[in-house]
Amino acid sequence: MPQDMPPVGGYDAVQYKRNLPVRGFRPSVYLLGMGVIMTYGFWMYGKGVREKNELGREKQWSRIHLIPLLQAEEDRDQVRRMLADKQREKELLGANLKVYHNDRFVRPTYVATPENVTK
Amino acid sequence: MSTRVPRFNKTSLYDTTPLPDDIPKVKEIGASSAPLMSAAFFIGARCKAYNDDYMQCKTESNGRGELECMKEGRKVTRCAASVLEDINKNCLEEFKKHWDCLENNNQQLWHCRAQERPFNKCVFDKLNLEKTIPGTPENVTPVHLRKYQKFS
Repeated sequence: MPQDMPPVGGYDAVQYKRNLPVRGFRPSVYLLGMGVIMTYGFWMYGKGVREKNELGREKQWSRIHLIPLLQAEEDRDQVRRMLADKQREKELLGANLKVYHNDRFVRPTYVATPENVTK
Repeated sequence: MSTRVPRFNKTSLYDTTPLPDDIPKVKEIGASSAPLMSAAFFIGARCKAYNDDYMQCKTESNGRGELECMKEGRKVTRCAASVLEDINKNCLEEFKKHWDCLENNNQQLWHCRAQERPFNKCVFDKLNLEKTIPGTPENVTPVHLRKYQKFS
């Protein structure tokens, strides 16, 4: 029985490699692109943070300039109420009782409300 | 300054008794928050000395500032009122536009640069009050003078 022999000229080359086209750029290009985008993003973010800090400073100073004005108005109102209260107390009791041991100004926690609304 | 929260405050308790006659009268500022905020830097520019005086008096009077600093307080209020009066007299239109914008934009100054620029210019030209933000780093443009902002 004759033995099978390779064909004359040998076998064709076996195709073991896949012949797929390589898509896109080299990986390093993508890495670089990501780096560029991230750098730009962080740069802009940093700028935004700096600007936000400045805006915060502006807002704080706009308030700081107003605080004495608002506080003065409130203090006057508190003093007016306290003096009116003392006057009422004097009319009712004949004398002003000293409630606290020191003479600091104390914002009243409790206030005697008039029975009828005065305004 | 006592920090205790009063149980009754003026929203529920009216007391219309005026101050006694021996304390000089001063007309309260009577402006709402948006105009005050709009004019804040000019108030600060003109009244800095009075404001600092008042705050120093309050600090140094050991809890009796409400009574002892009334004189300084009146000066503060009068000075601020004078600024508002001058602005009203000279730059009413720009002022009104600016605080209208503030009122419509959550009182955020960066929304209203377009209205702020002519207002600042008018106040600087006529009243010679300039808006400066203390503490701004020297190598950057102050935020209210920038041509382009990231915000808005």
